[in-house]
Amino acid sequence: MRAETIEKLSSLGFLGPLAFFIALFIVLPVTGTFVDSLFRDVVFLDRAFIGLENYRALFSHPGFWNAMRFTLLFVIVSVPLEILLGLAIALTLNETIPLRGMIRAVVLIPWAIPAAVSARVFELIYNYSYGAANYLVRVLGISREPVNWLGTDLGAFAAVVATDAWKTTPFVAIILMAGLASIPEILYAQARVDRAGFIRRFRSITIPLLWPVLIVAALFRTIHALRIFDVIYVLTGGGPGGATESVSLFAYRYFTTGDYGFGAAASVVLFIMALSLSVFYVRLGGFGKRRRE
Amino acid sequence: MNRPDARNLLLFFGVGFTLLFCLSPFVYMLLTGFNTSPDFLRPGGNMAFTLDHFHTVIFSPQLHFPRYMLNSIVISAASACITVFAASLAAYALTRLPVPWKGPIMVFVLAISMFPEVSLLSYLFKFMSALGWANTYQALILPYVAWTLPLSLWILVSYFEQVPHDLDKAGLIDCASRLTILIKIILPVAAPGVFSTLLLAFIFAFNEFLFALMLTTDYAARTIPVGIAMFQGMHGEIPWGEIMAAAAVTTLPVVILTLLFQRRIIQGLTRGAVKE
Repeated sequence: MRAETIEKLSSLGFLGPLAFFIALFIVLPVTGTFVDSLFRDVVFLDRAFIGLENYRALFSHPGFWNAMRFTLLFVIVSVPLEILLGLAIALTLNETIPLRGMIRAVVLIPWAIPAAVSARVFELIYNYSYGAANYLVRVLGISREPVNWLGTDLGAFAAVVATDAWKTTPFVAIILMAGLASIPEILYAQARVDRAGFIRRFRSITIPLLWPVLIVAALFRTIHALRIFDVIYVLTGGGPGGATESVSLFAYRYFTTGDYGFGAAASVVLFIMALSLSVFYVRLGGFGKRRRE
Repeated sequence: MNRPDARNLLLFFGVGFTLLFCLSPFVYMLLTGFNTSPDFLRPGGNMAFTLDHFHTVIFSPQLHFPRYMLNSIVISAASACITVFAASLAAYALTRLPVPWKGPIMVFVLAISMFPEVSLLSYLFKFMSALGWANTYQALILPYVAWTLPLSLWILVSYFEQVPHDLDKAGLIDCASRLTILIKIILPVAAPGVFSTLLLAFIFAFNEFLFALMLTTDYAARTIPVGIAMFQGMHGEIPWGEIMAAAAVTTLPVVILTLLFQRRIIQGLTRGAVKE
């Protein structure tokens, strides 16, 4: 009896540091942001409770809907693109090829470079007069005129998607590679005996068995894409004219200008979107049930 | 064309695409860093090798670049160590001790890692300013620890689960304390996993941008990603050569880490994301 109590107490001690950090630097700030969103919390003005006034102002703010539209469009375009590219890379690297270890290491490079740094590299790539993108446009004869990548709505959108895809496709590829490696080789061997072609094997073995991992990768990417900030802040600054302004960037602007209440309301909306997706994800993956047996 | 040929051709294109996709921006960055002028791809432009940009970035006192680098390395290393310390203790409790609600704790920690950073931002800023910690190392280390804990915990739990429970039973019979068992038995056996976690936590902290942008004001604590994002020329023209030289120096440590330890990193990443 006594020993059991000691065990219980010591387990609390072991969980202590984790609980301390998460409570103080995640749970408390999120709660604080929720509370702030209900206040008029502007630098140099008295703090006052205003209920849902910030949210009302937010939902009637055209800039917010613009940021919302961009963020959702970005998720819808970039996640499937990254999954497709990642799948192509994973399928390639899952085969027995020479120097496979080396190539895998190379795939990790874009993932390991800070997004802010790679965004700076892409800023140069999209430079109007001498960037690599317009060099390709000219050399491949795609267009006689250089493309104004960062100065037009569509160009800037494509630039942000491509920059993000470069940075995050490796992550998708690595997750999918692990999924592919766990498919038993014997299934493919049997399918070959049954004279199933490459496409047939891909459709009937690879896709169904990879499906759970694909879902995990897609949801991880969705949740990260939803909060995109670094790439946009550095590459386009939300421009031109707000065409690539994400919800995170929108909220950040209000924090830096000292309107904490309004910025908090915008982050709460983003938070709720992310949370509903993670609940969906936890349900879909059946985590928690499978974990402890 | 017969089957193996078609397969090889497809693989050849796959590998070519993969290498081109992953390496070309990186190579372009290096080329610009080593070129006198960034416009070598302009019609009629040509290349001229120089080390000036690297020299400026490393030695110019106005740019504070070495200081950003030092800040980044100290902050990332400190947060990675603290994270692994806290996550090992928790992972030990969750795999070995009679903790109630183990499943819910794991799911809660996972859900936390899905929170958008921006929803913590204003409060962290106020909190750190109130403590007088704005623009200090601890203002970044503490949130980074919290931010990398969920992933670290998930990875370590999956490694600790694989350490045979008989090992610590033997320790208990010898009357070793729980903490001694963790340090003397579990950690050495799970060392590869602990190392993977350390690497990942370091890379995540090294790459973090939004907190560093909001919580630092100058070179005293500013990290490399923010330093490079804010790198502007003094005379209007963007100093591309210097920015790319700085980017190259920055990516050097992470690229070396990844090339050396790719196996560890891939294992850690897939443990965190894919549960078999």
